[in-house]
Amino acid sequence: MEEKEITVNIKKYNENDGAFWKSYKVKADRYTQMTEVLRRIKTEQDPSLSYRASCHMAVCGSCAMKINGVPSLACKTMAFKATDEKNEINLESMDYYKEVRDLIPDIDTFYDRMYKALPGLAADEEVIAGKAEQRMLPEEQKEVWQFQGCIYCGLCVSACPSVKEDEKFLGPAAHAKGYRYIADDRDTKKEERINTLMDSAWRCTSCYMCYEVCPQDVQPVIAIKKTKSYLNDYRGPETDVIAMARKHDNAILELINDTGKIKESSLYLKTFGLGEAIKDSVNMLRSGKIKYAFTKDNDVKNINEIKKIMGDKK
Amino acid sequence: MEKKEYDAVILGGGLAGLMAANITASAGFSVAVVSKVFPTRSHSSAAEGGIAAYIKDNSDPNDDPDFMSYDEVKGGDYLVDQDAAELLSAKSGEIVHILDSWGAPFNRQPDGRIALRYFGGQTYPRTRFVADKTGMALLHTLFEHATGLKNIDFYNEYYVLDIVKEGKDVNGLVAMEMKTMDPIYLKSRALLIASGGLGMIYKHTTNSYINTGDGYGIALRSGVALKDPEFVQFHPTGLYPSDILISEAARAEGAILKNNKGERFMARYAPHKFDLAPRDIVSRSMTIEIREGRGFEGGYLGLDLTHLGREYIMDRLSLAYDAAKTFSGVDATEEMIPVRPAQHYFMGGIDVDITGTNHDLNGIFAAGEAACVSVHGANRLGSNSLLETLVYGRETGNAMVNFLKSHKSMESNSNVDSIINTAYSYIKRETGEHFGTLLNELRDIMWDNVGVFRDQKKLEEAVRKISDLRKRSLNMYVTDKSNNYNTEAFNAFETRNMLDVAFAISSAALNRKETRGAHYRDDYPNRDDDNWMKHTITYLGDNEIKITYKPVNYTRWKPEPRVY
Amino acid sequence: MKVAYYPGCASHGIAKDVDIATQLIAKDLDLELMEVDDWNCCGGGFMDDKSEEIHVALNLRNLEKVKEMGFNKMATPCSVCLNSHRIASDKYEKNPELKENVDKRLKNADIEYDNSVDSEHFIWTLIRDVGIDNIKKHVKKPLKGIKIGTYYGCQLLRPYEVMGFESPFKPTSVMDLVAATGATPVSFPLKSACCGFPLMGSNPPVGLKMADNILGNARNNGAEMLVHPCSLCHLQLDVTQLKIKDQFKQDWTLPVLYITQLIGLSFGYTPGELGIGKITTEYLKERGFT
Repeated sequence: MEEKEITVNIKKYNENDGAFWKSYKVKADRYTQMTEVLRRIKTEQDPSLSYRASCHMAVCGSCAMKINGVPSLACKTMAFKATDEKNEINLESMDYYKEVRDLIPDIDTFYDRMYKALPGLAADEEVIAGKAEQRMLPEEQKEVWQFQGCIYCGLCVSACPSVKEDEKFLGPAAHAKGYRYIADDRDTKKEERINTLMDSAWRCTSCYMCYEVCPQDVQPVIAIKKTKSYLNDYRGPETDVIAMARKHDNAILELINDTGKIKESSLYLKTFGLGEAIKDSVNMLRSGKIKYAFTKDNDVKNINEIKKIMGDKK
Repeated sequence: MEKKEYDAVILGGGLAGLMAANITASAGFSVAVVSKVFPTRSHSSAAEGGIAAYIKDNSDPNDDPDFMSYDEVKGGDYLVDQDAAELLSAKSGEIVHILDSWGAPFNRQPDGRIALRYFGGQTYPRTRFVADKTGMALLHTLFEHATGLKNIDFYNEYYVLDIVKEGKDVNGLVAMEMKTMDPIYLKSRALLIASGGLGMIYKHTTNSYINTGDGYGIALRSGVALKDPEFVQFHPTGLYPSDILISEAARAEGAILKNNKGERFMARYAPHKFDLAPRDIVSRSMTIEIREGRGFEGGYLGLDLTHLGREYIMDRLSLAYDAAKTFSGVDATEEMIPVRPAQHYFMGGIDVDITGTNHDLNGIFAAGEAACVSVHGANRLGSNSLLETLVYGRETGNAMVNFLKSHKSMESNSNVDSIINTAYSYIKRETGEHFGTLLNELRDIMWDNVGVFRDQKKLEEAVRKISDLRKRSLNMYVTDKSNNYNTEAFNAFETRNMLDVAFAISSAALNRKETRGAHYRDDYPNRDDDNWMKHTITYLGDNEIKITYKPVNYTRWKPEPRVY
Repeated sequence: MKVAYYPGCASHGIAKDVDIATQLIAKDLDLELMEVDDWNCCGGGFMDDKSEEIHVALNLRNLEKVKEMGFNKMATPCSVCLNSHRIASDKYEKNPELKENVDKRLKNADIEYDNSVDSEHFIWTLIRDVGIDNIKKHVKKPLKGIKIGTYYGCQLLRPYEVMGFESPFKPTSVMDLVAATGATPVSFPLKSACCGFPLMGSNPPVGLKMADNILGNARNNGAEMLVHPCSLCHLQLDVTQLKIKDQFKQDWTLPVLYITQLIGLSFGYTPGELGIGKITTEYLKERGFT
């Protein structure tokens, strides 16, 4: 098979020397995985190179790192495809987590988040005692399996902008894990789960970064959105975030139901109240934006269509 | 040095270790689970196709546990301990129920009951599955369940160096925290080795990089025997060229192996079961096809799924589809997947009885691929490895509980210091052999000489070369002197373990002068029940492997020719 | 050429200048923007938190109107509206159960839809249908020497399997358009991070912090202005900028423009004609654009 030499630049790190880049030349062919490239470097050139790798088939989640700046699994990345126009590949430890050694970050915070999402099924007593059989419809299994597919690699958390700014946000993976149990009708702790996740869910900024970087196509942001949809039934602690989400949500629903459109200014008023609206109006005056605050757009003419589509809200 | 005491220490956080941890902790004993990786990274996660189980009222109406046991016995070419096989079958339904109650999202039938499909060597379909990531789904289920229990402490990313013993009694183990390189003595009355397999000793393997046979090496060095180490399974469908596993589920769902003439060649080798004959037979047939020039250039054959249709492939075999697409650039809905045999499983293992108890030392247990309970004999059937980890993980957990009830904690820790000093000696040494050199040589030798087809000459050469490598390994050194994730040091420790177990495998293979299951000798091509219907027991001596034997346990099935 | 045009609520509200500038340059480029008949809010980023079914049905109603108008695609200046419609079409196609429930809702409103209409961003229309070279031909006042931070945000790019136009990690569309105006595009690490707008309805402190991060990151990488492709980024980065300045006690502001406003400037329109706000207008004056 045709081989070519590629250059692999690795950002190494150790306590004594800090971070530094080192380059290696490796022969690869079009089937060579980046985990194999790393193994070759380690056994043939630089035994001190440290990285995590296990299954090399994208189910164990060990080899998460940044490849050419993109959060990726090394095993799922083929060396030829990853090389840039200069025939080079750059490898770095994931963002967000503390650097410890070369491509190995400390991802304990990721695991802690997962445990907070209450993983583990709470089955019915009869089932645990072996007296009853659990059934599950194939469609339900599919929904559960979609979000159970998380392999604990940590890429989504490393790339999430909300995680970086908000310590109360559990992060994408934990939400996928948590929702997986909410969606599972075999579980008996649904309410407790919703109570645990609701405030955090509204701290997600829906930017789809987790959806993009997830090597298992788990779509954590969708799990968060599905969790948010339980807001109406939520009876847990009414945090500031939840209270505002309710106001905002209701205001939007009402606006769309009544006019078919969102009027930002009335939405703003209903969500934030008059005081905040006046404060912001001053800023808008200063920036010359106030004239647009009163722009009136047409309502949807055939508003009945909208009302019929909205119908039952659930 | 840090020292902690537990009732039981479990080496390995895969399915077998976690199952035993659950049982032991639930019985009120304190448990430490020590793993060189975070538990979900364990190789159990790589198991794809499923778990075999006879479930009453949810199996083929003609099936019963006896058929299941018979399939195991015949599949294992009569080297199976039949009481062990019967227990495996009898408890299979129960185990699936437990996993289901802990949340495993098994694929379902339209009425909501757990679905099932055929796997190789099964008289009736028994395999339960979660798409084709069954191992991952079960491992996560078990791990998430275990993390909810109070009595279990996890030591993740701790590398186990060796067993601490007082005479014939186990007294825990010494491990090293990978993040800091600090040693820790985990003292315990009971020690379970559930550290999985050894694929990395072969150049071509479907196994994880972490499968370095650590438990076998540790056991051998402590005077614990390995049973039947000559039996190494080669899976027929390793993806070419990366050796990533294409699950047997593919053939179970109707995929067909074809040679370069487009022939369904398995019809010639297994006229009844075709592509779903046991793995040793299919791998041998494929190797013959390739050897006789009917493979494709580069040395592979085709696995044809195209007739199954895109939708079916995506639903049932998405991992196989993705793997072929990502790693070989093949769209399995349109073209054949390139496959060739690759090392996959180790039927041999730490010599234990039907309760998972070893009798060379007091307090040592083994389960899962690390153990040889002799349910797989000379060849394991697909879907039985997951089943074994859980059924025997549970049996072994129960055996540990019984052991703990009658054994008290001991004082002293005679060999703790020497274990640590030996480990540090590699790091302190400034010159010598590098692990990578030794390892790459070992992997070539094992693949070329101790592979699918074996003979006297090849095996003698292997034993001689591995013996040399072991001598050279005494002079192994580590260039990296740093104190955080010094993975070079751990690779050196792993290499030591790999050399020890490879030594046992090649010696036992040279010794067994017959063909049985996965052990095929060109120079002894027939099964010889008169002389070789017995288990090989290997001990590590002073640069030699000492071999004794144990009888095979029969209950009901007499050996017969193995035709599929 | 005629283009079905979905302005979205924001560009008919506080982000009106997005619409104003888009209409102006479209005329120059011979694009006849045909506003989608009786369009409704897509509920982007909100409605799917409430109900996937309602969200998909509302978006398909718009697409059905586009079809009735005789088009097989529509363009929108808003990344969130774009994302919303594309995700709706994608889910409708891939999730048969959801489709069944959506169909019930649509049927209830006497709407029948075959999922045949594509949605695209107005900048995709500019690049694919008009062409960068063609845009360059209309440039009368090249914005020579102005360093423009090229911001993409999230919804335009992700998820790639649904959006599909360009690499979510190495996008070039905004950069190419900025270069066409003669200005100097400045790439910066947070170019595709979220502006924080979606958090303004539940967790504004963090939403504002994200906006501050974007502005600061662009500025620190040498941008003197920022260009973006989304009506809601406009609310967050432009309209809200003084609030951000106060909140994080910054001693600077970063002038922000919607992409068609920048193109409009290079076509020779004045900041006033393009509806550009005070902060940006003042800065442009300093740099000689009046």
